Amino acid sequence: MATEQSTAGRLGFGNGEAALGLAFVVPIVVIMGGLVFMPLVTTIVDSLYRVDPMRAGEPFVGLKNYTDLAADSNVQTAWANTLAYVAMAVILETVGGLAAALLLNSVRHGRQWLLAAVVLPWCLPPVVNAIVWMWIYNPSYGLLNHALMSLGVIDTPQVWFNDRGTGLFLITLVHVWRMMPLTAIILLAALQSIPKELYEAAKLDGAGAVKSFQMVTLPLISGGLAIALSQSTVFAFNLFDEAWIMGGSGLGTRSVIIQVYMSAFQNLRFSYGMALSLLAMIASLVVSLIYVLRVYRETRMD
Amino acid sequence: MKRRNFLSLMAAANAAFIVPSLTRAFAASGDTLTVLLPPWGTIPKQMTDRFAKETGITLNIQTMGWDDIRTKIVTSMVAQTAPAQATEVDWSWVGQFGAAGWYAPLDEISADTVADIPTAEIFKYDGKLLALPYNNDFRILIYNKAHLEKAGIKAAPKSPEELMDQAKAIKSAGVVDYPIGLPMSATEGTATAWYLLTMAFGGDLFDADFKPLFTDKDSGGYKALQFEAEALKAGLIDPAATGLKDVEIQELFKSGSVTFDVAGWAGNLAVYSDKDKSKVSGDVDAALMPSTSGKSRTFGLPEAIGVPTSADNHEAAVTFIEWMAKPENEIEIYNTLGDLPPRLSVLEQLNEEGKLFAGDKLLAQAKTVEPLFKQGTPGWYPEFSSAVASAINQVAKEQISVDEAVAQMADRAEAAKNR
Amino acid sequence: MSAQTPDRGGLLRLLAKAFAILVLVLWSLGPIYWALATSLTRPDELVSRTPHFFPPNVTFQHYARLFGGSSVSQGNTVQSVWPEFSAALLNSLVTSVGATILTVAIAAFGAYAFVRLRFPGRNILFILVVATMAIPAYTVMIPLYRLMIQLGLIDTYVGITLIYTSAFLPLALWLMRTVYQAMPIALEEAAWLDGAGRIYTLVRIVLPLAAPGLIAAALLTFLNAWGQFIVPLVFSPTLATKPLTVLIPEFVTRNYVDYGLMNAAGILAIIPPIVLVIFLNRYLVSGLMAGAQK
Repeated sequence: MATEQSTAGRLGFGNGEAALGLAFVVPIVVIMGGLVFMPLVTTIVDSLYRVDPMRAGEPFVGLKNYTDLAADSNVQTAWANTLAYVAMAVILETVGGLAAALLLNSVRHGRQWLLAAVVLPWCLPPVVNAIVWMWIYNPSYGLLNHALMSLGVIDTPQVWFNDRGTGLFLITLVHVWRMMPLTAIILLAALQSIPKELYEAAKLDGAGAVKSFQMVTLPLISGGLAIALSQSTVFAFNLFDEAWIMGGSGLGTRSVIIQVYMSAFQNLRFSYGMALSLLAMIASLVVSLIYVLRVYRETRMD
Repeated sequence: MKRRNFLSLMAAANAAFIVPSLTRAFAASGDTLTVLLPPWGTIPKQMTDRFAKETGITLNIQTMGWDDIRTKIVTSMVAQTAPAQATEVDWSWVGQFGAAGWYAPLDEISADTVADIPTAEIFKYDGKLLALPYNNDFRILIYNKAHLEKAGIKAAPKSPEELMDQAKAIKSAGVVDYPIGLPMSATEGTATAWYLLTMAFGGDLFDADFKPLFTDKDSGGYKALQFEAEALKAGLIDPAATGLKDVEIQELFKSGSVTFDVAGWAGNLAVYSDKDKSKVSGDVDAALMPSTSGKSRTFGLPEAIGVPTSADNHEAAVTFIEWMAKPENEIEIYNTLGDLPPRLSVLEQLNEEGKLFAGDKLLAQAKTVEPLFKQGTPGWYPEFSSAVASAINQVAKEQISVDEAVAQMADRAEAAKNR
Repeated sequence: MSAQTPDRGGLLRLLAKAFAILVLVLWSLGPIYWALATSLTRPDELVSRTPHFFPPNVTFQHYARLFGGSSVSQGNTVQSVWPEFSAALLNSLVTSVGATILTVAIAAFGAYAFVRLRFPGRNILFILVVATMAIPAYTVMIPLYRLMIQLGLIDTYVGITLIYTSAFLPLALWLMRTVYQAMPIALEEAAWLDGAGRIYTLVRIVLPLAAPGLIAAALLTFLNAWGQFIVPLVFSPTLATKPLTVLIPEFVTRNYVDYGLMNAAGILAIIPPIVLVIFLNRYLVSGLMAGAQK
């Protein structure tokens, strides 16, 4: 360490700069290369083979894993569930996150503490959240049934997860509880970067609250919005923890990542799982890319 | 400043309670044996203490819910690490685990012991004993006779139809809301209960070539699933059963809110009749599994303990396995956990002493025990079973029809088999 | 003007705002409160027909079953579960702290290189690494599993820590880059003119100034690692490295009807994150904000 320091120090701006830069990024190259990029390439290659630890040989099977996936009714159900998770989570997180961000932005006193309360769910382990919420959803003694019954919304206790749509929604809600703070903070940062003068100008032009939101706020937070939307999408596409704890292997709430986990680690079909995980990754990347492009294009027109 | 002081205090407090436990763990590590078992393998403290005193080995029993255990064992065995130094081995895993060579043959177990445990045969692979049974589970109808009396019913049901009729009578008499206890979550217990009902309807799962036999409308399997769907629709099964595992149904039975534990675990009668653990201790009784043919059928689901090849401390593990199989320990496990003793001699002794609850019925049912797969459990069983549980769960939630469910199950079986 | 003598509309708006704040706080903290209350309620009161928003008789029996010299399972007195719990707690701490230190150290130097040092492949490397933020760790989990088997790193602290680092390093790098970019280069130039070396300048001058950023990066990494579930579910089969997030669900599946116990176990696992949020919230929020900037 000491010798490196003195030699690097003497080198100053010259050729040493490149050497030092490379030395600093070597750990990054090693870790990211070895644990992310190499496995990613392996995933692509191995998804064309039959890799199954319980069976000898790893023959080339071409696109068979993919055609099998397309024909697997469990996989289709898992895709439908995941799409439902993504749609609900993205909408709820964006609407709720934006509302929370606007509220936080308008609070002067004690914002620090309100912020702390809002980010807290994001900081907790998702499995613990799922356990806590599962108790709230409990059909016999859960808070949700008690609350809705005392409000007169329902007459008898409901077994929430008996309805597939409700089950998907309730799991999404737990996910939203954790992820909404992230959206809120991203949007709050965007809101805070809007110069006050713009609102003054809009007011002088006779714009009301709604109009100035449309004309000033929305275009100026669109960058943050694009980031928030992509974040929500990627995380919802990869929903595992909450759905696994609350729904287990049940098909009605099974997400694509649960299907990957079950294929690979319960049924030990590695390459089948790899093919599916690759498709999940591509799908989430494509969807988030669409947001980014659309949001950017729309803001440019304004 | 204050903040920093508080944080360092927290850190110190953390260190204070971690360090003592660490040193304790290291002090004992020389002769500790880690064991991975399901909840009904979590032997009481008085037994673990006694084991330590008798053998000098400290037990560290790690308990996991049934549906987690196999995955945990499989993922660590594929990784060539041992999930524990001794683990659960289910009857249904022997084919797969034996073929993979994951479990060490237990040559040290004496021939006398093995001869006294008939179900040990199921745990042999290639003639080698891979695990020694500790639970001789088979299924029997367990019911609450007080509920039957209140509804004016004289005798336990002999056929599935009678079971349904009695349940309706009990419900309409207002004795309990949901008389039939059957798990319907996407867990293994849901699948095994359906296998049992399939037998009750005179059916079998597969023919000799593993061709599914449950898709036909007249088949036992189809009727069994229809029975479950109808019972649920008629309000005889709690709608919340879609989220309940077998062990949770057992809790409901113990609390007196269920009349029939349809897929009752034979040994559980010991727990159900224990007034410290059950509110229905005086009312519980057992009957032969109902059947449409008049000939009661059931199947065995014995569980055993084996030693992974990748585990160290093989000797201590064998010591533990032998100790669990001692007659006095099997009796204590039966009384505290409801695991039916695997030793024939112990069963006979308990029955003679009148300590086997509903012993005559148990022994009568024991004579009808058959294996679920006559030609041996195939390696793809876990995948099939998980598909069965999923399908039943969907039927119960009215997401698919019975026809769709049996077709789905058959497809899965074919796909898993042909891979 | 209107602030001093609020008219009716202003008052209404104030009330609406107060209500909105109340809803937000209830939504965020309500479930946590409910878990805490449940963990302090007696079992018989938990399964009563009327809910108790306040435990009528505060009890520590659920915690006693976690910490005590013995526990209860299936109505039997069984071995204490504390050795398991303390081992998992220790594993959570070791892997999370290990990953945090490694990630922040690598990011502190790496991001500096990306901002201040010119070297071949700089931009493409940065883009590639940051792009992996959009690729979830789960995508590469299966080949990673096989790789870790070959390396003999399954169920080891080194293996888990490395996986966490690879998952959270991009975010930390991104964050530290924005921190360095916001820093005036004049300070460093002054130091170089005084003859200080690059590394000396970085360690003695830049890093102390970047402390808030480092704390934020450390916090984000720690919280992410602390909450990880699927990675240790596969890579930590035994108590050698199994963290609380894996142990607690196992605990739930074997104590199926013990709601008080489940919530007590959950409360234990969320104490460290809560403490961090209370004391270091400022850094956390600024970190999340910086991480989201273009």
